[in-house]
Amino acid sequence: MSAFPAVAPRTDRRRALRPAYVVVALAASFLGQPAAATETKGWVVSWLGQAMYSQDGDCPDGINPRWKEQRLRVLADLGYTKKEIDDLVNEQLAGKSGGRIGPLIVNRGRLNGEPVNAYLYPSAVVDPKLHAMGGKYAYGFDLDGKGPNSPHAFEDPETHEKGVDHELARAFGCMPQFRGSLTITPGNWAWTWSQLKDNQPAWVITLTGEDLSKDGDVTIAIDRAIEFLRSNSDGNTRFDMTYRVDPDPRSQNVYLGKIKNGVVILREPGTKSIHLLQDPQVAPEFRMSNVQMRLKRNPDRTLEVMLGGYQPWADLYFSFASGAAGNETAQTGDIPGLYYLMKKYADAAADPRTGQNTAISATYYLTAVPAFVRPAGADKDGKVAAR
Amino acid sequence: MMPLLPARSRHRRGIATAAVIGIACALLPISALNAAAKNATPSSLPEAEFRRISAEQYRNIIHDVFGPTVELGGRFEPELRLNGLLAVGASSIAATAVGMEQFDAIARSIASQVVNQKHREQMIPCQPAAVTAPDDACARRFLGKVGRLLYRQPLPGRQLDAHVGAAHVGAEGVKDFYRGLALSLGAMLSSPQFLFRKATLEPDPEQRGGYRLDAHAKASQLSFFLWNAGPDLLLLKAAESGELNSRKGLARQVDRMIASPRLEAGVRAFFVDNFRFDDTVSITKDVALFPKYNAQVMANAREQTLRTIVDLLLKQKGDYRDLFTTKKTFLTRELGAIYRVPVVGTQPNGSPDTWEPFEFPPNDPRGGILTQVAFTATHSPAGRGSPTLRGKALREIILCQKVPAPPGDVDFTLVNNTTSYNTARERLAAHATEPMCAGCHKIMDPIGLALENFDGAGEYRTTENGAPIDASGELNGVKFSDPSGLGRAVHDDPAAATCLVNRLSAYALGRVPANAKQPWVALLQKSFAANGYRVPELMRTIATSDAFYRVAPKGEPSPPKQKAAATTLPQPEIRK
Repeated sequence: MSAFPAVAPRTDRRRALRPAYVVVALAASFLGQPAAATETKGWVVSWLGQAMYSQDGDCPDGINPRWKEQRLRVLADLGYTKKEIDDLVNEQLAGKSGGRIGPLIVNRGRLNGEPVNAYLYPSAVVDPKLHAMGGKYAYGFDLDGKGPNSPHAFEDPETHEKGVDHELARAFGCMPQFRGSLTITPGNWAWTWSQLKDNQPAWVITLTGEDLSKDGDVTIAIDRAIEFLRSNSDGNTRFDMTYRVDPDPRSQNVYLGKIKNGVVILREPGTKSIHLLQDPQVAPEFRMSNVQMRLKRNPDRTLEVMLGGYQPWADLYFSFASGAAGNETAQTGDIPGLYYLMKKYADAAADPRTGQNTAISATYYLTAVPAFVRPAGADKDGKVAAR
Repeated sequence: MMPLLPARSRHRRGIATAAVIGIACALLPISALNAAAKNATPSSLPEAEFRRISAEQYRNIIHDVFGPTVELGGRFEPELRLNGLLAVGASSIAATAVGMEQFDAIARSIASQVVNQKHREQMIPCQPAAVTAPDDACARRFLGKVGRLLYRQPLPGRQLDAHVGAAHVGAEGVKDFYRGLALSLGAMLSSPQFLFRKATLEPDPEQRGGYRLDAHAKASQLSFFLWNAGPDLLLLKAAESGELNSRKGLARQVDRMIASPRLEAGVRAFFVDNFRFDDTVSITKDVALFPKYNAQVMANAREQTLRTIVDLLLKQKGDYRDLFTTKKTFLTRELGAIYRVPVVGTQPNGSPDTWEPFEFPPNDPRGGILTQVAFTATHSPAGRGSPTLRGKALREIILCQKVPAPPGDVDFTLVNNTTSYNTARERLAAHATEPMCAGCHKIMDPIGLALENFDGAGEYRTTENGAPIDASGELNGVKFSDPSGLGRAVHDDPAAATCLVNRLSAYALGRVPANAKQPWVALLQKSFAANGYRVPELMRTIATSDAFYRVAPKGEPSPPKQKAAATTLPQPEIRK
């Protein structure tokens, strides 16, 4: 036998080890009829960030000040006079502070009258009552099924579906670091992705169907790979690399979908969840329930994905708070403020004891570039998903 | 009694004295050998040839003698390409003053590593009676042993005495046996006797009035040809015992060397030289146009082609001509992205890319080394592909045909006009309306246009500026419609095999075979064909030929001029 593996055909039978496919193929062969040929295409995720649609005037109470100004308010709330604040700031600007202002900000929480770390104890900080977004549009899906009658529902600016639930956009939409669009990426999410992309195994997406160029049923898989994402010299994600799916089931997600008018959507929206292990430096896991998604293939072979669902907001808070003062200064702005925003606008998964919602509706925008994806568990010479 | 000089000055003077003696004894061998040759041989003895060892040969020798943990560092002087080969240029280059400084710096670095705490026990076969004083017996033992391997022959007693003496003076001056030894070893590594291969001659008993290499020069000729390194101990022993001067003994050594895994280094060295892979290190691309390209990709591309060659020629024992058609190759994940094919790694996350065997399907346009990135990207400018450069490279490198240089006042306006002409074919057709350009372009462009499916960085494409690419072409009257067809045409062109024999024989000899050797070259051509175009067999035939070790008597005519398109000898190219 040749030492060379069989070359992956453009049309491939994908995920040979998935029992359902194996059974279908065997049954067909026993009946003397060829199994229906399927086509699989693969991509690797090249961007992940909250899908934002910031518009002029969508913050009726104004955009929240940047952290540099916010912290002056924090110091005032702590009882410092204007002169004392000026002195602290001037000391820092002159490089003479010796870190005096830093510990004051970090330990601005008060628990039984004692200073405590504001990121560990956000509820020990007085709610700064940051402004939320009040616009009409936000990307997303009707997650609660209530349509336009849903309280606070948005309209998707692309599909014009009404009743869109994206309360995370409402919560963060007036924070300067979270404002942006699909093309002008919000600063916080750009930073987050820059951390994730080089520090965790890549995420891969595959579509399998009889003919992916036509409307019809498909299977969508979103998995974590074994390999890291590979980039070009210019920092952009490299096309056409090969990735192996990580056999760890915690990062494997399969959905039944369909292509309708060239766009891939779920056949049973809102019934499944998504779990992907990610860089613990940001958050240990990316997870959402009641998932809905929309995937669009572009002529340049890239893929755009809108991924919506209810996300445990504690996961998000962890990702902000784990970076503590550095995050607050450079990326997120007032972290306890974000805590209060998410707590206020969380709209799902009520804690039966307290009644507090533990999840918040969110929509993420992903892009992906063509890649070859080898299914988990396949042997080395196993079939590889064509790009 | 008070010392005459302060300790520091004494120390410096010791080193300086040892260095002077070291250099003197490094230079001694050449003058001594030349004088000896003059006295011992008839006045008609042709002058001995010298060939500077290449950077790779230097590296191989050092690793053979001292092991792979000794680091060379530094860069060597540029080499010279003559008649298509650096190996031929090696007979025509010396070492500049700056180059000698580089050699000396590298030599000192190697010597200091050899004697340092980490290596000395392993590399020095004895321990001095005291580390703070000279030990001539130990120094002699070490220098005699490594000198034989570095100089590729035993050191004459006088020369070894000089090296031991230098080590003695050095050790005495700095009160450190090992530093003294390092000074002498450093001088040895800077010696012309190490840096240059000398073809020492002796009268040939089988050729009346003729000459042949002496046994040690023969061992070097054989070893550098087959292994790209100096002779090993077995080969030196065969030289010293006279075995190499018998046909049976020579064949025995050649068989041993061809059966050795080290033959791969020799085959690689020849193809790196012949295919001008030394050029790949200086290739750059516009990453805005070719974002997948980087220096690592190019290094991988060169290695891909070398692995393809080694696998086909050595492991599969295949036909040389199949290099232009084979669908089998080896890829890394990164190269897989360039070729747009899946390459599944086998290592844990974060490991370097592994090399995986890969075979393109039979109907795939990719196949053969001409469609590989190492060829298509190397023979392209930074921002685009070039049918002309690729055609020229194929003519000159693969078919040994010389393409005349372009005139100095070429008007490139039409070739660069991508507004009026979408594809290279259209632009070159327009350019060919210039009568002074048309003549040469017609022998290059029809070849290179067949590779237009590969962009300037070697990535496959089907369109250029939105227009479909027509990859049809022609080679010496054979028409084809795609890159596979070009590969087949080269495979079937007798010039490909002829060129390989000419180049390999010139590579082995270090010069283009002279007229007197043409019957031998003709014999090699026949033998190559008769043996199914197997390169190892051709190497064996060369290595066991008398002609390989015979030196043309004085006054032998210069090399024959090449025929047809190759009538002009190429201009020397300085490797950057």
